[in-house]
Amino acid sequence: MQTCPECQSSLSTPLVCLDCHALLPQTPGQTPSPFDALGVELGWRVEGKALKKQLLKLSRAVHPDFFATADEATRNRAEDASALLNSAFETLKDDFKRADWLVKVLGGPSDSEERQMPRAFLMQVMEWNEVLDDARSAAQGSAEWNAVAELESELATEREARFSAIAKQLDPLPAKGAGDLAPVRQELNAVRYIDRTQAEVKQLKLQATLGPKS
Amino acid sequence: MGYIELNVLNNETSPQAMGIDLGTTNSLAATWKDGRPVVIKPEQAGNGSIPSVIHVAEDGTVLVGRQARDKAMVDPRHTIFSIKRFMGRGIADVQEELKSFPFPVTEDENGVIQVQAHGKAYTPQELSSLILMRVHDLACRSMGGAEIQRAVITVPAYFDDTQRQATRDAARLAGIDVLRIINEPTAASLAYGLDQSAAGTIAVYDLGGGTFDISLLSIEEGVFSVLSTNGDTHLGGDDFDRALAGLAMEGLAEQLSPEELNDPGLHQAARLAGEKCKMELSTRPEADLHVVLPESGVHFRRRVTIEEFDELVAPLVERTLDSCRQALADAELEPSDISEVVMVGGSTRMPCVQAAVENFFGRLPHTELNPDEVVALGAAIQAHILIGGSRDLLLMDVTPLSLGLETVGGAVSKIIARNSTIPCSATEGFTTYADNQTGIEFNILQGERELAKDCRSLGQFKLTGIPPMPAGLARVAVRFHVDADGILTVSSREESTGAKASISITPKNGLTDEAVEKMLADSLTNAREDFEAGRNVGLVAELGTMIRATNKSLPDVEEHLDLETLADIREAIEASQAASAAKVLDGKELQRVRDLLERATMPLAAVLMDGVAKKALAGKSLRDV
Repeated sequence: MQTCPECQSSLSTPLVCLDCHALLPQTPGQTPSPFDALGVELGWRVEGKALKKQLLKLSRAVHPDFFATADEATRNRAEDASALLNSAFETLKDDFKRADWLVKVLGGPSDSEERQMPRAFLMQVMEWNEVLDDARSAAQGSAEWNAVAELESELATEREARFSAIAKQLDPLPAKGAGDLAPVRQELNAVRYIDRTQAEVKQLKLQATLGPKS
Repeated sequence: MGYIELNVLNNETSPQAMGIDLGTTNSLAATWKDGRPVVIKPEQAGNGSIPSVIHVAEDGTVLVGRQARDKAMVDPRHTIFSIKRFMGRGIADVQEELKSFPFPVTEDENGVIQVQAHGKAYTPQELSSLILMRVHDLACRSMGGAEIQRAVITVPAYFDDTQRQATRDAARLAGIDVLRIINEPTAASLAYGLDQSAAGTIAVYDLGGGTFDISLLSIEEGVFSVLSTNGDTHLGGDDFDRALAGLAMEGLAEQLSPEELNDPGLHQAARLAGEKCKMELSTRPEADLHVVLPESGVHFRRRVTIEEFDELVAPLVERTLDSCRQALADAELEPSDISEVVMVGGSTRMPCVQAAVENFFGRLPHTELNPDEVVALGAAIQAHILIGGSRDLLLMDVTPLSLGLETVGGAVSKIIARNSTIPCSATEGFTTYADNQTGIEFNILQGERELAKDCRSLGQFKLTGIPPMPAGLARVAVRFHVDADGILTVSSREESTGAKASISITPKNGLTDEAVEKMLADSLTNAREDFEAGRNVGLVAELGTMIRATNKSLPDVEEHLDLETLADIREAIEASQAASAAKVLDGKELQRVRDLLERATMPLAAVLMDGVAKKALAGKSLRDV
């Protein structure tokens, strides 16, 4: 762990010293990792509440609101540190973004290098598409239409299943370069597919509620 | 004549920042005093609010505020209203507004509107800066001439980058040091102290003079996020006035000929009568709709009951609720999910509006604070925090619209998603597609739509200075940063060589930094001069009124005043007349004689007040008092 160049106390984040409130200089091009920025342990498991608490605690030390009357360099430092914290929080609190970040950092394939989805999943995709196609042309209240509600809960369950599969491979975290991360990427591709399907379901339902009105 | 100071400001604690609500119809300032936010009430602007109105006379003299609004009656062709609607917009965006706009309007090569008033071009930024200057100047003067340069300025939650930038530029032109731009609904929530609650969803219902906004915010451990906003940019109190005016015109149609009915003066009088009647109906079950035009012999009176009024304006109220429904649908919420409702804007005083909102959300809305003041009060709280007055509260707002880049084929690639907590930044990598290419151009977009043509372009960004190398080898990192004001800045570097690629920005509908600097350098002096000239004209008018009032009442009370006081009054009147008649008006001198006259007439005012009280009490026994 690093120490503060101003007061030598040990740092929980490279952005700011919580003891002497000094905003610390950053090396251009070397952005601290989201885990480092927020001062939480690197790993798959994060606790949402603790993460939020950490964000607010650190924001109270770096937010530009508390440096509004400082010189420009300090204001810029506060802007940068605050932006970094916010994006670190966005990355870590979201299961998809966190997994995506971990896969990349551990040397795994990106979504353009590994485009496959798990094989068993593909069969389900075809079934879902059929349900959606049928519902699009069906009247509200018909059996085809009611199948959408079932699809919705199925999608939610499936999404959870994908993440438990991911957790099995990322917890504990494999060492960099060790282990094959392509399966994790495939799971993530499946999650993305589920998210798109969920958006379609939402759109379909929205059109149905607005339909008679407009 | 002298005013009795009832609200003496304590000069011991000098506040160092103010909050300014720069509104479409009215603007006002507030500051922090004795542990709470207070609206600054200059005596020239009774309740503190200053009409966001500008009058440009043939000789180029600019009047701002109340004096400008008074001119609207006699010289509507040179009076500018609602300039806020033009901020950061192009001509194509403001077609509706232009129908009633008094001056010809053009656009410069960057799409910035130019108002052509008597041979001089003004941008909306410059016009807004005149309003800000007026608000700021009156506020400083009423606080004993304090120099408060720092301010928080509010904007609607839906304002995009260009509109926020335009607001910040206007403040810069006004010589104000902008501490922060914050969202109006967030400010209103702050004023009500809703940041104290642990968690909840807040609806801010803002019905102003000419606009309606509904914003849904979520609050979680001091973090405000805008969930959705909706509204109607052409629905406000004025429409309610017009509904009543229509009622008056119907009645007048029975008395007058069609030509007489077409008189613009009559329409104006009917609208004012409607406004007065509406305001009375906010506190009484019935009121008179009273239109008088002595010169044309028009005299019309009609009683309006609150039931009649409610029915008349029900369609208008319903339109606001439609917007609320849409905002809820966008946020995927039900009315019952809302934990607090905040009322903003003078039009929310109408009982029918309050009842409709209460009924819609199923809870009593907050109306404890003056709805005209809540936004300015919230801005003052934030200003107080920003100058280091408090660390208890941290406001974290979000960006209302997504930022993206136009990609090949006219699609949008999102860089920063809407509702990201600000400040936020994202870095995007670019490369060259031709050998030895040294520049890359891209179009930055704001909006939620999939296609570039459906989003709003913030401008064309041009990256130059990339070292020559084979295609695809250059790695240019472009960093997009949305600051705490919600305004975008772009910077870049070439990563393989570390060369700093430079970036030039041609904003759409916005001013470049150089343009603002130039305006500051040359036309600011002009604007200041114009502004001072306008202020001097106002002071002369005020002196005239004071002298007339003094001369009128002096004979009645002369016997009650001592000789010294009388001599002081006469001397002050003479000095005032001399200063008003000067060939070149001297602002400092005018202010001095105004203060002199005010002080000299103080005893006279006291005697008059006394007389009024005696008269009122005359013939009454003590028991009746």
